[in-house]
Amino acid sequence: MAEQASASNDKSVQVKLVLLGEAAVGKSSVVLRFVNNEFQANKEPTIGAAFLTQKCRLEDRILRYEIWDTAGQERFHSLAPMYYRNAQAAVVVYDVTKASSLEKAKSWVKELQRQANPNIVIALAGNKVDLVQPSESSSGGTSVDESEDEADDATATGGEAPAPSGEGESLRQVPREEAQAYATEAGLLFFETSAKTGEGIVDIFTEIAKKIPIEHILASARGNAGRPGLAGNRAEGAQSQNVNLDQNATKAKDACNC
Amino acid sequence: MATISTALRHFKEPSKEQLTHTFFSIPPALDGTLDKSEEVEGMEINAVLSLGEAVEDSYAGKLHIMSPFLAFASLDRKSVRFTIPLSTIRRVERLNARAGIYALSLLTWHGMKLVVQLTSLRPTADLFCSLLKDALKLELQRGQMKLVKSFVKTCYSEVLVSNSSSAPENEREDGSLDDQIPNSEEITYHGGLGLKFKFPGDPKKLRETSKIKLWTTYLKTHGRNLTLLRYPQYTRLVQVGLPNRLRGEMWEVLSGSIYLRFANPGYYERLLEEHKGTTSTSTEDIEKDLHRSLPEYAGYQSEVGINSLRRVLQAYSFKNPELGYCQAMNILAAAILIYMSEEQAFWLLEILCDRLLPGYYAPSMHGTMLDQRVFESLVQRCLPMIHEHFQEVDVQLSVASLPWFLSLYINSMPMVFALRIVDCFFCMGPKVLFQSHHSTLFPAILKINGEKLLQIQDDGGFLNLMRDYFASLGESAHPDSPDPRARAITNFQELLLVSFREFSIIHSIESFAKRSAIRNLRTFGRFTKEQVGFVYDALYKAMCLVPPPPTSAPPPTLFTTGDGSEEKPETRIELKTFRHLLSEVATWARDEKIVMNGFQQRIDREVAEHEFIDRLFYFWDVGCRGALSFQDIVLGLDGVMFNDLMENIEWFFNLHDKNKDGYLTKDEVLVLSESLLFIFRFEVGDAYLGAVSRFMTNAFEYGDALLPRPEPKEGEDGERASSPPPIESNQPYLNLATFRMVVLADEILESFFETDLRNSFKLVPLPEMELPISSTGLLGDIWSSIATDTNKKMFNMFTDEIGKTIGRHQVIHRPSIGRYTTLEEPKARESLLTPSMRKSASKSSLKSSAAASTSTVSTAVGDAAPRPASSASSLTVNVPSPAQLASAKSALGSVPESGSLSAMPMMKAARDAALMERTPFAIDNAQDGDEDEDDFFDDDEEDDQVLDEVDAFLEAHDSGLTEADKKVAQDLLKAEPVK
Ligand SMILES: Nc1nc2c(ncn2[C@@H]2O[C@H](COP(=O)(O)OP(=O)(O)OP(=O)(O)O)[C@@H](O)[C@H]2O)c(=O)[nH]1
Ligand SMILES: [Mg+2]
Repeated sequence: MAEQASASNDKSVQVKLVLLGEAAVGKSSVVLRFVNNEFQANKEPTIGAAFLTQKCRLEDRILRYEIWDTAGQERFHSLAPMYYRNAQAAVVVYDVTKASSLEKAKSWVKELQRQANPNIVIALAGNKVDLVQPSESSSGGTSVDESEDEADDATATGGEAPAPSGEGESLRQVPREEAQAYATEAGLLFFETSAKTGEGIVDIFTEIAKKIPIEHILASARGNAGRPGLAGNRAEGAQSQNVNLDQNATKAKDACNC
Repeated sequence: MATISTALRHFKEPSKEQLTHTFFSIPPALDGTLDKSEEVEGMEINAVLSLGEAVEDSYAGKLHIMSPFLAFASLDRKSVRFTIPLSTIRRVERLNARAGIYALSLLTWHGMKLVVQLTSLRPTADLFCSLLKDALKLELQRGQMKLVKSFVKTCYSEVLVSNSSSAPENEREDGSLDDQIPNSEEITYHGGLGLKFKFPGDPKKLRETSKIKLWTTYLKTHGRNLTLLRYPQYTRLVQVGLPNRLRGEMWEVLSGSIYLRFANPGYYERLLEEHKGTTSTSTEDIEKDLHRSLPEYAGYQSEVGINSLRRVLQAYSFKNPELGYCQAMNILAAAILIYMSEEQAFWLLEILCDRLLPGYYAPSMHGTMLDQRVFESLVQRCLPMIHEHFQEVDVQLSVASLPWFLSLYINSMPMVFALRIVDCFFCMGPKVLFQSHHSTLFPAILKINGEKLLQIQDDGGFLNLMRDYFASLGESAHPDSPDPRARAITNFQELLLVSFREFSIIHSIESFAKRSAIRNLRTFGRFTKEQVGFVYDALYKAMCLVPPPPTSAPPPTLFTTGDGSEEKPETRIELKTFRHLLSEVATWARDEKIVMNGFQQRIDREVAEHEFIDRLFYFWDVGCRGALSFQDIVLGLDGVMFNDLMENIEWFFNLHDKNKDGYLTKDEVLVLSESLLFIFRFEVGDAYLGAVSRFMTNAFEYGDALLPRPEPKEGEDGERASSPPPIESNQPYLNLATFRMVVLADEILESFFETDLRNSFKLVPLPEMELPISSTGLLGDIWSSIATDTNKKMFNMFTDEIGKTIGRHQVIHRPSIGRYTTLEEPKARESLLTPSMRKSASKSSLKSSAAASTSTVSTAVGDAAPRPASSASSLTVNVPSPAQLASAKSALGSVPESGSLSAMPMMKAARDAALMERTPFAIDNAQDGDEDEDDFFDDDEEDDQVLDEVDAFLEAHDSGLTEADKKVAQDLLKAEPVK
């Protein structure tokens, strides 16, 4: 129960984070990778929204991410404000193999900048880079724990889901430079990620943690007084899966499995 | 939210026809498939349904013809019902039964016999039969009859009933097919992926074998697929969970999608063919989700399942491009495809999105939003503790409930449980506005988890709790109980139990609104909750008849679902609505005529209008808003319904003391008398008339006598001092003490204020106005309701006319109080002042009543009050005869001079009013008035019996069938058709 003690010490900070982006770009997969260090080839679409938490250590601080993973389809759009209200951070995800998904991402960024918490930290994530990487890295990228049969089905039949064949870069529809330029211009953090391989996932959350005005949150949280029963039913589950954000990003996977 | 308000704004109260169609799961015809011009008119008729071979009790209810369907629902609308396409009916015969009984025998294509006894009047029954004939003919012309045989081959139930052993030999225990054992016959029935990929759940635990056995027995005797009859056992069988093999078909039948599939053969394939190669945003969205729909099910790890899912979702998006595709539909479609074929699933999806969950998946998702709000406010009202706690920790219920509703709990809880919820959902059908029936589950879930919910601190805690709870649905709800049977109850069973028992009463928005209206009352006064409920019902009924003006709040059906801060202003009713309301609760506030014309006997009921009622309205309007709230009404009734004698006298006094100075003016005394006359207007005999006239006499006598007299001053005229001083008619005149004295001087008035006034308010709902009396009539034997109100009125007029011409038309006003039926000599309560005067007045009225002649004789309605012995010799009079008027005049004449100056015109008005109230009796005078007293006496007793019968009927009316009716229904099963 050492974790719980640290959770209640004043260095623990709660950060509300929301994931936005077009349907099927991999939002839920990104969260699942971050929280459970897993990947499921056929993740059911998110209906409404899902809620997950993850604790991480940044320097001497414990951060507790409260993550709202929203539904991507356009008609769920009107529900989004319910989830991004009071969020301190947002990850806007697009799919590097789908140009239209970046357009959707841009419109989310606009909406956040206009309507969300003014201090919100926004990160742009171009997901599924494993699909556009040269074959050596993509073939080796798949770890054993992923359910292979499902992955095979998905790639074999899904009209949209391109197979990670030797075509490599040709699947890419969004050049890294273009997205990077946009992110810089809009003042966003930027990453290319793969929920499948885990590439870039921990980095997003690390960089967000660094950029967030933690002192500010702490001050306002103290005003709210403690929320006593908080850790109760989650502490144990989260304990083993703590992510140490200080770890080098490339070693993230091992770090997470501790 | 904008979408909700738009949805509400666009919300149209569904028409009665729409409601009936929805109730019977009759889907709207697809555009262009039915030629409107050749449609047969719809009609409903009272009927008693018996099932051939008498496997079930007979049920009274309503039979509807809604071409191309025949439908029936028992009176309670839940025990028994069916919806049968007319094309499945092969023979209709009129049964040769006892005289006056009109019964039909219907034979379905598979030989099931239904006997329906049409209990409406002969002409109505004839009309119904001819409509039925036309509709059947039309079905034959359209060739639907021929399609039945081939269609039913697609239904698994046919396999079940035809096989002597209950299941084909190549079936595995769960109902899926074993490829190893070849089936001798070709499979023609539709089935889902489960046949190939197995069904979810352990067949042993699901008790598949015994369920199939029970169903086979049921289906053999109660029809199946298109002809399925829903008897009480049916609902029970659904609630324990449908067996895998029948599930798809039962969903089709319950939802009514089977009728769409039947009516549109080949439509699904054509639709796909026509749109081959078409792409849209919907098809793109569908592709994204195909592999993300129940991926753990074997069928969706194979091309076969994925392709089926793609085709069904695409077909729906082609059919309804406006809605297209919404995430969550993939989950629904994937689930139902395990149990049904693509074509079946396509039509079920259509019904789901269109009928059962309207607006849920639309681009605006307004249905979802609306229901979320409804649920939130439901929790607020039903589980206020949880609501408050959630407010405190800022948790929104919708974070959990939204996904549940959109995917009907599939993928929020273990599949086997979610499927059973879907079973119940289809079975209970959509309710208007309260769209999703699983809504009852939601408060139940919260209630069961109540204590834990009060501990949660944030959204995450809430979601985790719910997830854990759903995961534990298969576990024992009472693991520590010493009773093994209690231990055997799973969490899921408990959930269903709680939701059916405690929350299914919230089945309509009306009862929900009622509960909240009652909860919002500041005080019930001295009423019980149940009584307040009756007041609400009366109010609601009145508001439906005379809706409050648009400036005030909408009728209670459209309540706001938001939190307290945006609570709508209280609904208030105006005078017109109030009159209706009062006519529901007070006997004297309605005009009730018992009409007998030789064929039927009925009660015509009308809302009374009188200044007295208006006065009551303003009296209860304590806030002077010109409108009454529910609370005002409750308090108003409270103010009169619990009083003792003295309190009631005071209440009545205050009601007439307009300026509240503790005195009635002379005018007010007259108005008060008019009020009494109004209340007594239908009392039999002139006992009450006499009482009022005595009241007036005494009031003016006492009033004058007690007027403060100026001290005779020195030198003034002594004569002048002894006579009452002149007083204006609008000056304070009579105080409460005097009024009380005057009232107590009269036995009738005393009894009125002691008990009768209080008893004239009745909160129990009024029975229907139809009195099905089997009379010795000429037109037919059974009078019962005829299809529409207009028809009823026409019929009533018609029979009245005949009745008049043959001299059997009688109208009796139902008395409001009905205690004293004869005039009595006032008892020895002598006036303090001039007893002689009062005596003379009553004497003369007694004389007049004896002389009066009238055709109508009536008597008190079963009142416990003992009839005075004198009644034998006196007549009861309904028409004021000249002599009576004279007596009234003489009563007036006895009013002391000083009062009569101003009183006369008022009294004349009062008298005219009395005359007007009684004019309906004029028609009764058609009879000769020469009958002697003995005859009247006899009639008097006869009427007594009739009225007793009326009361008996009023009581028996709700209870469906009498023993005799049941006997008739049973006999009909053996009756021969008419040659
Ligand atoms: N190759 C590859 N596939 C991915 C990656 N991330 C997600 N996917 C696949 O993309 C599909 C969609 O992923 P989800 O995580 O469900 O997408 P989402 O954004 O949450 O979708 P919605 O909930 O519908 O908004 C799934 O089949 C995933 O397996 C990735 O990094 N690489
Ligand atoms: Mg998702």
